[in-house]
Amino acid sequence: MRGVGQGTWGEGLRYFLYPLSLAPFPLPLIVCFGLLVGLVGCGGRSEPTVKIGFVAPLTGDQAPQGEDMFHGALLAVEQAQADGEILPGYRLELVVLDDQRNPTQAVSAAKKLVADPDIVAMVGHLNSSCTMPASAIYHQARLLQVSPVSSNPQISRQGFDTFYRTCATDDLQGPAAARFIVQDLKAQKVFVLDDMTTYGRGLANELIRALNALGAEVLGHEGITQADKEFTPILTKIKSLNPDLVYFAGMFPEGALLIKQRQDVGLGGYFMGGDGLFDVALIDLSGSQAAEGVYLSTIGSDIYRVSTARAFVQAYEARFGPVGAYSAYAYEATNIAIWAIRKAGKPDRAAVLAAMKTLKDYPGLFGPQNFDEKGDSLIRDIGIFTVRSGRFSFVKIATQD
Amino acid sequence: MRIADLKQRHSEFRQRIIRWEMGGFLALLIPIVHPHPYHLDVLTTALLYALLALGLNVIVGLTGLLHLGYAAFFAIGAYTYGLLNIHLGCPFWIGWLPASIFAGISGVCLGIPALRVRGDYLAIVTLGFGEIVRIAFTNLEQWTGGPNGLLGIAHPRLWIPTAGMLDFGVSSKPYYYLALIVTVIVAGFCVRLSRSRVGRAWRAIREDEMAAACMGIPVLNLKLLAQGCGGAIAGLAGAIFAAKQGVITPDSFDFILSVMVLAMVVLGGMGSIRGAIVGALVLGSLPEWLRGFDRYRMLIFGLAMIGMMRLRPEGIFRGRR
Amino acid sequence: MTSLQLFFQQLANGLTLGAIYALIALGYTMVYGVIQLINFAHGEVFMVGAYGALSVILLCTAAHLPWPVVLLAAALGALLLCGGLGGVIERIAYRPIRRAPRLNALITAIGMSFFLQNALMLCYGATDRQFPSLIPSVRWDVGGLSFTGMQLLIWGSSAVLMAFLQVLVMSTKLGKAMRATSQDPVACALLGIPVDRIIAITFVIGSALGAIGGLLFGLYYGTINFHDGYLMGMKAFTAAVLGGIGNIPGAMIGGLVLGMLEGLGAGYLSSQWKNVFAFVALVALLLFKPTGLLAERVAERA
Repeated sequence: MRGVGQGTWGEGLRYFLYPLSLAPFPLPLIVCFGLLVGLVGCGGRSEPTVKIGFVAPLTGDQAPQGEDMFHGALLAVEQAQADGEILPGYRLELVVLDDQRNPTQAVSAAKKLVADPDIVAMVGHLNSSCTMPASAIYHQARLLQVSPVSSNPQISRQGFDTFYRTCATDDLQGPAAARFIVQDLKAQKVFVLDDMTTYGRGLANELIRALNALGAEVLGHEGITQADKEFTPILTKIKSLNPDLVYFAGMFPEGALLIKQRQDVGLGGYFMGGDGLFDVALIDLSGSQAAEGVYLSTIGSDIYRVSTARAFVQAYEARFGPVGAYSAYAYEATNIAIWAIRKAGKPDRAAVLAAMKTLKDYPGLFGPQNFDEKGDSLIRDIGIFTVRSGRFSFVKIATQD
Repeated sequence: MRIADLKQRHSEFRQRIIRWEMGGFLALLIPIVHPHPYHLDVLTTALLYALLALGLNVIVGLTGLLHLGYAAFFAIGAYTYGLLNIHLGCPFWIGWLPASIFAGISGVCLGIPALRVRGDYLAIVTLGFGEIVRIAFTNLEQWTGGPNGLLGIAHPRLWIPTAGMLDFGVSSKPYYYLALIVTVIVAGFCVRLSRSRVGRAWRAIREDEMAAACMGIPVLNLKLLAQGCGGAIAGLAGAIFAAKQGVITPDSFDFILSVMVLAMVVLGGMGSIRGAIVGALVLGSLPEWLRGFDRYRMLIFGLAMIGMMRLRPEGIFRGRR
Repeated sequence: MTSLQLFFQQLANGLTLGAIYALIALGYTMVYGVIQLINFAHGEVFMVGAYGALSVILLCTAAHLPWPVVLLAAALGALLLCGGLGGVIERIAYRPIRRAPRLNALITAIGMSFFLQNALMLCYGATDRQFPSLIPSVRWDVGGLSFTGMQLLIWGSSAVLMAFLQVLVMSTKLGKAMRATSQDPVACALLGIPVDRIIAITFVIGSALGAIGGLLFGLYYGTINFHDGYLMGMKAFTAAVLGGIGNIPGAMIGGLVLGMLEGLGAGYLSSQWKNVFAFVALVALLLFKPTGLLAERVAERA
């Protein structure tokens, strides 16, 4: 074969036409582009639907919590579907996406939701680290976001009018828990543990700030690794410091192990945790004997005692089993999104947002639900629970001041 | 070598250039033909993976050093840019440079002790390095914001002659173009690098370190250079990632990421540059394509990885030997 | 509790975790010793063992059998399940690509790990499962230190299994064949050693050891989750390298050392830097002894 530039006419022509042929592309490249372009065509619509997006980690190490949320959201949507058409002529659909608690995937998922014009509201995400970057995308697309459990106070300080959340922020729970520790339990020496996540560290920091302000002594603040199993070394160390109370800001799988191993190590005093521990599984996993007397600070009141939540608890337990830590919030958030769509009366994002702004005294699970101008829930009661003979039992409401 | 041979090589080279041009041209067209923000975002993520794969390809594919902590360089780049931007207000167009340089330097610094060990022992040392960096970013709360990460990193802004100031914000298109242009430039750089003396020396080290040393190749220096180049590319990718996300947290840079990038390089074909890109585009966007499978998607993803390795053991493109 | 007692208590805690690491590390090291593959899926095989044991235990306790019988049945069930799984994985995933470049096997192992982890999640659910505490809780106090029956069981079984494995590899015909295969598979095949079968047996034994590790892990911590295999697998792999990968006593020592390092590091320095101590120690050790504590040779067969 001869080089280009000294050949026949035919060869010259081929050289000119060359960029137009597919010959230079190896098959895999063509397949790639084909698949990408193929993504365009999918999705013919049959029946008009109005969709609610839902994002949470459904695979990966936070899948348990994500699943709890998903069940709550699903229940809300199923009930709304059973009630009949949400908007005249429209079918309600829940679009479920997985973010694997990975912020990168959370952004992808957010863009996917935003790109679907039928989606007029979304519920999610679980982790504050995912909610944070995703909320900017929802804001830009004017899509209503109702976050069930992302409790980092920073999120609502971004000033996005599309953002609402049904849970209290960490800067409320920390001080309330601290007040209970110092004033009710009369504990003066406290050791604080967290699980080194956005949630756990945030809550622990707020708690420590409040404890210091109340004059209690914080013996130490340490992190544990999420998904770790062996906590006896740190517990043995804590034991040698002899605190009155150990507070753990984290999730129930680690919480259960801490409670169990605390007994093995022989660490006395109180043990208290945040709302991440408020899950029946905590008692099952740690054993009711070890969990006896453990205190919890949670957002809102006892889901099993509040009369407004009774129907939810019954329906949930019949459908999915015990109510998970985050199920109720996801249920509440989804219901609020549905309410906003109903109120708007048409499947339009701007209308849904406008409707959301008119929300007042929504009959929620924990009583009338309202939001402040930042989108944070005004239900700011922090409930204190303890474990008594294998069940969570309500102690009191630790309010703000 | 005869003149005709040279001419043929020249012609092959031109064909290859045309191929790259065509690929780039088609890629430039995608946002115009199909301006779907989600698909563009998936592609942008895939392009960032491609950048990472190109960098890791230098270390693993060309030089043959098994590296399992590559996400650390990505993290270092992202945090460097993030910190510069937050504390000094450094814009992206300047900030990427120190991010890249710093990640490159940390690559060399890791290399100095790590290259004393070989083979799979190197793999575990780098794995350890990756974990150490991630945990350090989680624990050094005063500087890195701890598990909360860095919030409020500014999105890039670009002045465009006719349209005025364009804030990239959270839209997809500008990041896609940014990632595409950077990927093309880096790919070109990698092609040139792998054809150069240095590239040949790297391949010599990969094939037989002892023989390479006997031929007078400064093995240690070249290995360090490979680590530095790989680190710098990852740092650049990290800066783009930080600018795109606006928020970075340590859990974006876990071991799984290092492993995924390695899988992309191997899938593409070790040492092949277009292989690294295609491997990254395939594996990087596969989890998104599999979204339809709901909770089965990571299961299928695992199966796909096994299947691909079995069907194309040499990778999609066989690396030039 | 005096500071000396505290130290020994921390040491004992670390040793228990270390013994479990060691059991898993044995699986890594055996496979690595024979075919130089870092079997990333081993951590997940270990979890399959834990879940398999849990299933057996739930079945048996429903039948009201006494606990030693249940324990034995669970161990046997998990052993068979994981041994079989190990064999199947080797046959369908690793054998076809054995002649391909080494990194392909690594990627296949990672893919297998994704697959198994998600299969476990889909089969057993994503929530943590409670693992019944079969062993009656006994506690001895010796000189101010307390030991539980569970700890003794873990130490005992890992010591016995390690000894068994050492005898198997060093003094039986099968072990000789394994060692020969690891040196030169082609020459082995020429001499009539069924290399494929030897490799498959290695996988089966390694995975079965992981199953016992899984059972003990479940019993000791009382809760299991589908993703536990990831962290444990990574630690065990580290332990195997620390001890010198490919070396059986090395895996044991590596596991114990790693467990102790983590225990003492978390207990005395800082719990949130725990994993950093482990890795820093590893990196430091490898810099001075680039092949781990006990390795005989640098295995590098690219």
